[in-house]
Amino acid sequence: MSGGPAVRVSIESSCEKQVQEVALDGTETYVPPLSMSQNLAKLAQRIDFSQGSDSEEDSAEGEPRDREWGKQEQEEEEGTVKFQPSLWPWDSVRNNLRSALTEMCVLYDVLSVVKEKKYMALDPVSQDPTAGKTPQVFQLISKKKSLAIAAQLLLKGGEKLTKSVAENQENRRQRDFNSELLRLRSQWKLRKVGDKILGDLSYRSAGSLFPHHGAFEVIKNTDIDLDKKIPEDYCPLDVLIPSDLDGSAYIKVSIQKQAPDIGDLGTVNLFRRPQKNKGSTQPWHVKLEAAQNVLLCKEIFAQLSREAVQIKSQIPHIVVKNQIISQPFPGLQLSISLCHSTSGEKKSSRASPEKSKPDNHLYVLEHNLHQMMREFHKQQLSSVVMPHPATAPFGHKRLRLAGPLAYDKTEISNLQQSEGLLEKIIKQAKHIFLRSRTARTIDSLASRIEDPQIQAHWSNINDVYESSVKVLITSQGYEQICKSIQLQLNIGVEQIRVVHRDGRVITLSHQEQELQDFLLSQMSQHQVHAVQQLAKVMGWHVLSFSNHVGLGPVESIGNASAVTVASPNGEYAISVRNGPESGCKVLVQFPRSQIKELPKSDIIQDAKWSHLRGPYKEVHWSKMEGRNFVYKMELLMAALTPCP
Amino acid sequence: MGVACVCQVPVAEGKSVQQTVDLLHKKLEQLGAVKQGSFCVDCETYHATGNVSGQPSKLLYVMHNSETPLSCLALFEGGPCLVADANFDVLMVKLKSHFQNAKGHKVECRGSRFRYCDFLIKVGTVTMSSSARGISVEVEYCPCVVPGDCWNLMKEFMQSFLGTSVPELPSVFAAKPEGLFAPADCVDTVTQYLELFNKLRKLQIPGSNVR
Repeated sequence: MSGGPAVRVSIESSCEKQVQEVALDGTETYVPPLSMSQNLAKLAQRIDFSQGSDSEEDSAEGEPRDREWGKQEQEEEEGTVKFQPSLWPWDSVRNNLRSALTEMCVLYDVLSVVKEKKYMALDPVSQDPTAGKTPQVFQLISKKKSLAIAAQLLLKGGEKLTKSVAENQENRRQRDFNSELLRLRSQWKLRKVGDKILGDLSYRSAGSLFPHHGAFEVIKNTDIDLDKKIPEDYCPLDVLIPSDLDGSAYIKVSIQKQAPDIGDLGTVNLFRRPQKNKGSTQPWHVKLEAAQNVLLCKEIFAQLSREAVQIKSQIPHIVVKNQIISQPFPGLQLSISLCHSTSGEKKSSRASPEKSKPDNHLYVLEHNLHQMMREFHKQQLSSVVMPHPATAPFGHKRLRLAGPLAYDKTEISNLQQSEGLLEKIIKQAKHIFLRSRTARTIDSLASRIEDPQIQAHWSNINDVYESSVKVLITSQGYEQICKSIQLQLNIGVEQIRVVHRDGRVITLSHQEQELQDFLLSQMSQHQVHAVQQLAKVMGWHVLSFSNHVGLGPVESIGNASAVTVASPNGEYAISVRNGPESGCKVLVQFPRSQIKELPKSDIIQDAKWSHLRGPYKEVHWSKMEGRNFVYKMELLMAALTPCP
Repeated sequence: MGVACVCQVPVAEGKSVQQTVDLLHKKLEQLGAVKQGSFCVDCETYHATGNVSGQPSKLLYVMHNSETPLSCLALFEGGPCLVADANFDVLMVKLKSHFQNAKGHKVECRGSRFRYCDFLIKVGTVTMSSSARGISVEVEYCPCVVPGDCWNLMKEFMQSFLGTSVPELPSVFAAKPEGLFAPADCVDTVTQYLELFNKLRKLQIPGSNVR
């Protein structure tokens, strides 16, 4: 605010009221202003509803709205061009009201016409028919055209589909050379030399050291007549395998009794295996696989024959033509032969003088040979591979620890494999033979002898060099009581180790007779053991027991065993002697009182001595009732125990 | 692996080293032992060149034993012992700057090996720069690894063919803790050989004739 003397400004409203009269004393009498309702009535009197105006009064409408009710005179002077001088603020209102009235009248008229139907009535108005009725023919033609267009589109699409399907089938049938070559390449090693395509089917990349090249050639099969129908097994690709790998081969390992004369050695025994040709595999694949198998068989046989010649053994191995013959056990002959039948030879050369039975061929050993050869390959490969860590020396991984852990010679030799293929296969063959012979021995004994029963439980899990069987000798009906003879047989390569239940360990050789004798002696011992156990159950007292009794006739197999048991009241005694050869002998001792002729003696005066046991009497064991020895013994014991 | 005892056999009166060795061989064969090849134990000495001050430098002995053909043992006298690969020799060549080889001190013990049931007997001639210094006999009892358990048996066995020159319990075994399981291993054997070699080396210096 500026510094100046304040000015007083007064505002006074102008005089609005009219003066009606001025009195003699100077007082003015004003005309009282009109009230609101009086003002409105005054204005409304001015409206002339008879005069309507059709002019657009848009601009005129806007103006009266923002005028105050009090000011009337000014708007008439401020008029625009459109604003008609005769129109005054109420014009728009009047017009609107007039139009509203008109509408209402019309509506009322319509309603009265509809309702009363006195002077006028409503009547439906008939529709005019649409202009230009199209003729039928024209419609038909247009529909046909549109359908034809749609059909054409569909046909085009269908044609495309059938064409592609036909092309696929055509492709599959035709078997393009290149696609077949691609398939071949995905499974076999190929390389291009000049304009020839060569392949490698040897195991050299897998670690083999066999010097065969194993190369095959891929050629195009062009001898096809395009006019004729293409045969089902047509293949545009063909493989040429080397002539010495032609046909199929396998290694036959068989054990037979030693041939009496050595003259028929060297015969090529062919035994043609049926060709398994599945329709889904390509012919070239079958051919190549067969050739690879022939190569592997050749390698195995070459390795075996090399070892047979080089390795010194007690009985030398004979290598004749395609056979290697060795003697694992005396009287036995193991022959490993390479049977290679080329596809050119017919079946006429099938006859072999030996007429070997089909089950003579030990398939397990053939499989093992293949497996061992592949293991050898793998070893070769892994020894070339760099050792980890890089500072370690080449060779077996475990040998790296030999230095720091100060392994001695035995441990080192354990780590290093020194056995060749031939030695291994001979050991396996020995074991198989020993195992089958043991089984045969046990089975023959079990079927021959009924009284103590032999049970053999073979274990499922075996080694190539070791199997085991548990042999139980029991009496029928008394399995729970008489179970003292349980043998665990560990069948090795050349020996059988028997572990008895009582802890004895016996080593038997490969001789069949030894095992049989041993089992027979155990059976006879079992009978006596059974009597001992039975006595415990029946309440009889065991007076003496011996596994190897020195009295009586000498047995050729094992020893006889004997037991003496006395009845609960001591009156009777039973003595049993059982030997593997001599059979069983049972004697019963009676009390003296039962003997009819008692030798009179001066010394024995007292009557009490007659209660002692006296002489023996033998029992006719074969005439006893009972299905087996222990049953008979039980009956005998029961008979000798008098009822109280 | 077993308990081995190394002892020295004095040369018989009026006989050479070779003759004494032959005598022992004969005795063993009479006993029923079977000759099974030969053996060799050798020892090389290295001086540690680290110490400058007047302290005597520590001697590192690198020994090989044909019983453990792929290993090499490195030990300080009375101190720690390392069992390593055969490449350790090559490593020692690389460590020339720290360990110098005392070439004249190489000791070897060669001889034949006999086996008598569970016992392994090695009769050897200790040679230092191709002059025979003495005779060593090593008796190993293979089944046992605890020296205390089998010492009596070994002593009795040694008495049967060595006669009077039977040693006492070797110090390496006496030093083992009582009551705890302390098996004997190749380190003990080699330590005994080292003691024997050192003893024989010292014997030469005063000029006593061993031949």
